Amino acid sequence: MSQLKVVGQNVKKKDVKEKVLGTAIFAADIKMDGMLYGKTLRSKVPHGIVKKINVSQALELPGVHAVLTEQDIPGVNKAGIIVKDEPVLVGIGQRIRKIGDPLAIVAAETEEIAEAALDLIEVEVEELPAVFSPLDAMKDDAPKLYEKGNIMAVRRIVKGDVAEAFKNCDVIVEQDYTTSMVEHAYIETEAGVAKMEGDVVNVWVCTQNPHYDRKDVAYNLNIGLNQARIIQTTTGGGFGGKLDVTVHVHVALLAKATKRPVKMVYSRRESISNTVKRHPFIMKYKTGCDKDGKLIAWQTEIIGDTGAYASYGPGTLTRAAVHATGPYEIPNVKVEAYTVYTNNPQAGAMRGFGVPQVAFAHESQMNLLAEKLGISPLEIRMKNAFIPGSITATGSKLEHSVGLKSTMESAKQAAEKVLGDKF
Amino acid sequence: MKKRGVGLANMWYGIGNTGLPNPASAYIELLDDGTVIVLTGCADIGQGSTTTLAQIAAEEMGVDIEDVRVVSADTGITPDAGATSASRQTYISGNAVKMAAKEAKTILVETAARMLEVDEDSLILEDRKIVVKNDKDKFVKIKECLGKCRAEGKLTLGHGWFNPDVTALNPEDGQGKPYATYAFATQVAEVEVNTETGEVKVLKIFAAHDVGKAINPINVEGQIEGGCMIGVGFALMEQVKVDKGNIKTPNLATYLIPTAMDTPEIYPIIVEDPEVTGPFGAKGVGEPALIPTAAAIVNAIYDAVGVRITDLPVTPEKLLKEIKKERN
Repeated sequence: MSQLKVVGQNVKKKDVKEKVLGTAIFAADIKMDGMLYGKTLRSKVPHGIVKKINVSQALELPGVHAVLTEQDIPGVNKAGIIVKDEPVLVGIGQRIRKIGDPLAIVAAETEEIAEAALDLIEVEVEELPAVFSPLDAMKDDAPKLYEKGNIMAVRRIVKGDVAEAFKNCDVIVEQDYTTSMVEHAYIETEAGVAKMEGDVVNVWVCTQNPHYDRKDVAYNLNIGLNQARIIQTTTGGGFGGKLDVTVHVHVALLAKATKRPVKMVYSRRESISNTVKRHPFIMKYKTGCDKDGKLIAWQTEIIGDTGAYASYGPGTLTRAAVHATGPYEIPNVKVEAYTVYTNNPQAGAMRGFGVPQVAFAHESQMNLLAEKLGISPLEIRMKNAFIPGSITATGSKLEHSVGLKSTMESAKQAAEKVLGDKF
Repeated sequence: MKKRGVGLANMWYGIGNTGLPNPASAYIELLDDGTVIVLTGCADIGQGSTTTLAQIAAEEMGVDIEDVRVVSADTGITPDAGATSASRQTYISGNAVKMAAKEAKTILVETAARMLEVDEDSLILEDRKIVVKNDKDKFVKIKECLGKCRAEGKLTLGHGWFNPDVTALNPEDGQGKPYATYAFATQVAEVEVNTETGEVKVLKIFAAHDVGKAINPINVEGQIEGGCMIGVGFALMEQVKVDKGNIKTPNLATYLIPTAMDTPEIYPIIVEDPEVTGPFGAKGVGEPALIPTAAAIVNAIYDAVGVRITDLPVTPEKLLKEIKKERN
């Protein structure tokens, strides 16, 4: 190959000027002639059946152009990246599964009028018993969020025979780990503007996932995929939190109903309270090696609370299961990962996708083993690290670009240079 | 008393969606004046994919970075590139852009070979020229060659799409090939623990990441530094508090994230073990950047005070309780 000229260079980011000068246009900055402002009425209870939604008073408020409920959705009234289990609006007779479930959307001349209109919507809900712990939710007698039960998905990985292998281990470490629910906390909250142009709905929105957004907008408006145009606006961070639809379908529905451009901007409170989070994990680890520190058997159970709707839940738990052993070659592995529904806020994608949680656990295990064996944390990792030709727990062979030993060497050298013998 | 400790952690991370097809596509047009338009569905959310993809296109087309304009993430104009997630866009959209660029230059190279009376195989594109590899004085400018193409009624367009080579995981035992390639990393953290208050200060993080090939090294370093900060938050403070389904930390006054004052000295280290199926050997770094950080910090805390916390985050209250228990 000839020498690279552009690749490998510290090229300035293409968008640096607008970002630095503050001239970049975010969705919240967009203004259009005749633009209305949208707001969302949300459930205050975690579990229940909607008995009544009366919007007549809200509609009479001067400056209100539309108040939409589930009956006004021409399409499927469903969203969700992996499973379409999330209602765009929960209608009469339908089930609320979390605090914050959207019940109605309003478009008005100003944000204040839209806000005032929300207060005029009458809602009656028959509350149902709710469940907030994934461990409780997995029990047979738990309140069920879905007919098929609360265990949304189970991912199993089996290699070799762990039960037999643990008998041959010289050292075994067993430990439980838990991690917290985490918010993405991007600078920019969710925002978007929709406008009809002919029979096409244009949606300008901050997003990580425009082509998926297009599907959910089109299916809910019951229009062709070529009639829903998603235009990503300058996006102030995402970290996985802008993969799901939030304002997208709501602004599109309101723009279609009012024939006016409609904008929605979430406040920080609305953003944190209603959008997806990092899955809190409950993990059980049992890890065994021989007297030289060579890993022989590895068993992990993971329970991930995905909240009321799946979002990226099963994907997160599958990725967590695959990565649960860390980057080490182990002949006998058993992993079980459960994605569990509860009436908690929903968890979805967040930078790392289940792996930061398991890394906390598997790297703690490695240190616990090293301590029992009386060897260094680096040594036990070097002994077990993936190298080209290693077979993972899913039985796939790592052919090339396995730089783990190099990263260990590089980190060690850098740390030694600065920290000296403290490392 | 303040006690210092050092901890180490590794990670691996499969690039792209797990055991699922997740293709990305791109279009490229080489215009009359030698500038380039790349159309890609890839959403840049601040991580820099637009710049990275422009670099890949520029390299492949032999033009300058200023010559390339990337139009991204508009479903009315740009083709599907899937989500900006799974640390996948450099590897997958990068490959799609590279393939589109290859196709767009086919006619250019064929025309240049005729103009220079050499074999197509002997030509490379660099510095806005089509050059004979072993005789660099012999070349034709891309712009001139485009003039010839147009005179012959030929346009210079390309499209490309790439889907990583994976198989579905068996539902019974999870066996399969979930990813085409993996990123690897090692981080070392140095912490200082205040044994009277339980407060932890992260002093330094040495973060070595195997990214295959850094298309834009300073951008990779930026990703590593940002990732480490998310890792610091995950390790020490971030916790959405929920009571009966109700979020009790609904603003940034109650939901605490690291600030500039919590930022350690971060030493990003780029390791390049090239991935043969990646564009110019690249894999990904977006998510790997934060994955080992919390683990390294927790291991460093143990090194400092002999207390192992197994429940994140390691808040001062939690750590102080354990330190006291350890003392007694």
